[in-house]
Amino acid sequence: MKADLINPFLAAAFDILERMGKTRAARGQLSLASSPVRGDEVNVAVGVTGDLLGQVIFCMAERTATQLASNMLMGLPVIALDELAKSAVSEFSNMVTGNAVGELGNRDIICSVTPPAIFVGKEVTVSAKDLSFLVIPLQTELGDVKIYIALREANG
Amino acid sequence: MKRIRTTQLVPGMRLAEDIFLPNTTVTLIAAGTELSIEMIRRIKSLGIESVGIDETKGDSKDETERRLIPILARNHERMITAVEKLIISSAEQPLEEEAVRSLAGDLLSQVEMDSSLLLNLTHIKAYDNYLFSHSVNVAILTLLVGEVLGYSKKELHELGTAALLHDLGMLSVPQEIWQKQGALSPAEQVEIRKHPVYGEELLRASGFSEEVIRVAREHHERYDGSGYPDGKREKEISFKARILAVTDVYDACISFRPYRDQMTPQQALDQLLSEKEKYDPVVLNAFISVMAIYPIGSFVVLNSGEVAKVIRVSKNSPFRPEVRIYFDREGNLLDQPPRINLAEEKNHTLYIDKTLPAEEHKRLAAVIDGAGPGLP
Repeated sequence: MKADLINPFLAAAFDILERMGKTRAARGQLSLASSPVRGDEVNVAVGVTGDLLGQVIFCMAERTATQLASNMLMGLPVIALDELAKSAVSEFSNMVTGNAVGELGNRDIICSVTPPAIFVGKEVTVSAKDLSFLVIPLQTELGDVKIYIALREANG
Repeated sequence: MKRIRTTQLVPGMRLAEDIFLPNTTVTLIAAGTELSIEMIRRIKSLGIESVGIDETKGDSKDETERRLIPILARNHERMITAVEKLIISSAEQPLEEEAVRSLAGDLLSQVEMDSSLLLNLTHIKAYDNYLFSHSVNVAILTLLVGEVLGYSKKELHELGTAALLHDLGMLSVPQEIWQKQGALSPAEQVEIRKHPVYGEELLRASGFSEEVIRVAREHHERYDGSGYPDGKREKEISFKARILAVTDVYDACISFRPYRDQMTPQQALDQLLSEKEKYDPVVLNAFISVMAIYPIGSFVVLNSGEVAKVIRVSKNSPFRPEVRIYFDREGNLLDQPPRINLAEEKNHTLYIDKTLPAEEHKRLAAVIDGAGPGLP
């Protein structure tokens, strides 16, 4: 996967974390992971279709997820990862992917985003057919968020 | 059909003619297709300058709502009048518990029918009649919260009855005080703060259940102990009264009050959350589920740059309401504002990027009213 395809996701993650998640973020070392990968306590998968095909997966600890949800919910106290908190974390993932896809669209790479799916539990593994994941580790004030990206060109 | 420049296209518009790949006869997008954000990007990236858009008015959902809203609005009006009659007559004779219960039952069946449209109605405010319309609107909001919290039908009945009567004690406070323009004097404040106790007395005299009586007495108590009349806190306050604390404040905030400016739904939510220690977190959580993150009537900016108004919310997708896109990214009012359900699978490339501040809100509402399409 080319770096210029990754940069929009990175920029989107920083932007959405700051504006919606109310936290600064720092990027760790990028790496590759072969499919399947083991998830974290809370995992959200967002599909991408169009000129690019694949998945973007957001993984974090439950404590990070509830804190992120609270910040997205205007500071509402979030005690557990209930339905409202889940929709907040899902929407966060949707926003990052939608934002990145918008930026790709400005470069004539036209994609759409499919609804996020959230999986809770340590035993979750995620796979992407025939693809390896690019892993973006982010350190935030709420805890670590890892983004796994597996995208290929539709006509490639 | 109308020709629209590609820069003015917004998702949800319907194509009136096929779009061909430039210089070919290959159809890229067929006539009748509802444009998505990706299709619009594709059209722009192909350098196409304008396309034909189908102008036939509104989709079937709009038609249904146009029919339903006046009916619901009349019911709502009738409900307010009924509550007014009941409450006024309570000055001469004890309130009939059965009459109030049957009103609560009517409200409950309306909530079950189309809660989203009903929620819309609670947000249409008139200048007069505050006490009675407030009672009905608080009852609707309270029932919606009770539903989310999983109350049984029987419990909802009790809750609705209590909500309709929570401010009954205001009748014992001189009208000059609760309709006063401007700030209350300390003596007047003391008098206003007696209304929960007056309410308790009136309801007890009419033989209402202990639960209904407690809600009237405790609806101004606050979770952190800062309320009145008894300064109760947390579990000392009945759960139903903790619900009323939230719905009562919210409705008061979005209503016209003589002593302060009317707030937008977003401002009212912000207000509640800025004092979140005063409310039970479980109730706040349920209330946000009902109102959604971007409440009805909010003006929001989508990630595509268009400005839309939230027209329907759903507790299943609090971040993804139904919106109507009124302005293109340059801020031009659209002739034919499309309606988009952000929760639908095909619309997930869009998201709400931010809400506009309250002043903008009023300005945009005026621009839309001025154009007068009268859409729901």
